Amino acid sequence: MSKQDSEKFFPILSNSGYSITSPATPEYNCIAWAASDTNTWWEPDPQNLYYWPPEVSRKYTLDSYIKAYEILGYTLCHDANYKSGFEKIAIYVNANGKPTHAARQLNSGTWTSKLGRLEDIEHATLDDISGFHYGSIAVILKKPKKDIF
Amino acid sequence: MKYENLYFERPEDDIDILDFNNTGVSNESSVIYRDYKSSIEHYLLPISRQLENPVIRFLTLKAQWEVETAVLSSATEIAMHPAYQQIIGMGHVAIPLILSEMKRKQGHWFWALKSITGEDPVLLKQRGRIKEMTEAWIRWGKEQGYLV
Repeated sequence: MSKQDSEKFFPILSNSGYSITSPATPEYNCIAWAASDTNTWWEPDPQNLYYWPPEVSRKYTLDSYIKAYEILGYTLCHDANYKSGFEKIAIYVNANGKPTHAARQLNSGTWTSKLGRLEDIEHATLDDISGFHYGSIAVILKKPKKDIF
Repeated sequence: MKYENLYFERPEDDIDILDFNNTGVSNESSVIYRDYKSSIEHYLLPISRQLENPVIRFLTLKAQWEVETAVLSSATEIAMHPAYQQIIGMGHVAIPLILSEMKRKQGHWFWALKSITGEDPVLLKQRGRIKEMTEAWIRWGKEQGYLV
């Protein structure tokens, strides 16, 4: 898909400035990408076709998604502002409260998202992809970054 | 002759001969042949008729499904799309078409295959690993004779 296709799904992107940072692939989804996993599609599907942390109940609820990230060391946090030394994840939900998407904050303070089976993109704000497809932001989580030195 | 054979094996050469050189061909036979050509086209052209062909039906539904679910992050929602459900509704006819498509390009066909066949050759440790899941189903397809 091209930038024009992404902008068709997320019209705000066309004015906010964003970049495509990977080729399209069905091998992982946004939930995995937010957890920095590019080998697995994370989903609590009832058919048990996809990966979901075994310690967490397989339900399409915000609570279940939060618990999946808590296993990785994330905790709930109050805002999406960039804070040095921390990595943040935002979970989006639709009007019914069902999780639809997750985005991860980058060192630059911008966000990275995997758009379904399409590409990863880097976008300036969380609102850039909110709306019809992904709904709105429900929670922000954070965890201390690993010391790279 | 079945209509799909007519569709895929239309006598183009015969048409050319008649159209380019009608020497020795009576007026009556030309009229009959033109009407014959016309009747085939009228029979085959409607999209509803084309969709009776499983290959065309599968490709049409797949194209619609891919476009309309491209940004969804939930395979369950992807599988709930009406076009995907119609592919499942095609039953066993769809299995070789799905497996051939998976050989060509990875995709989320696991729900459909499990629903149609009642089988699941994917190991627990492979769940979510699309490449390994795809390989497991292709291997299964070969074992069952759906793929060569």
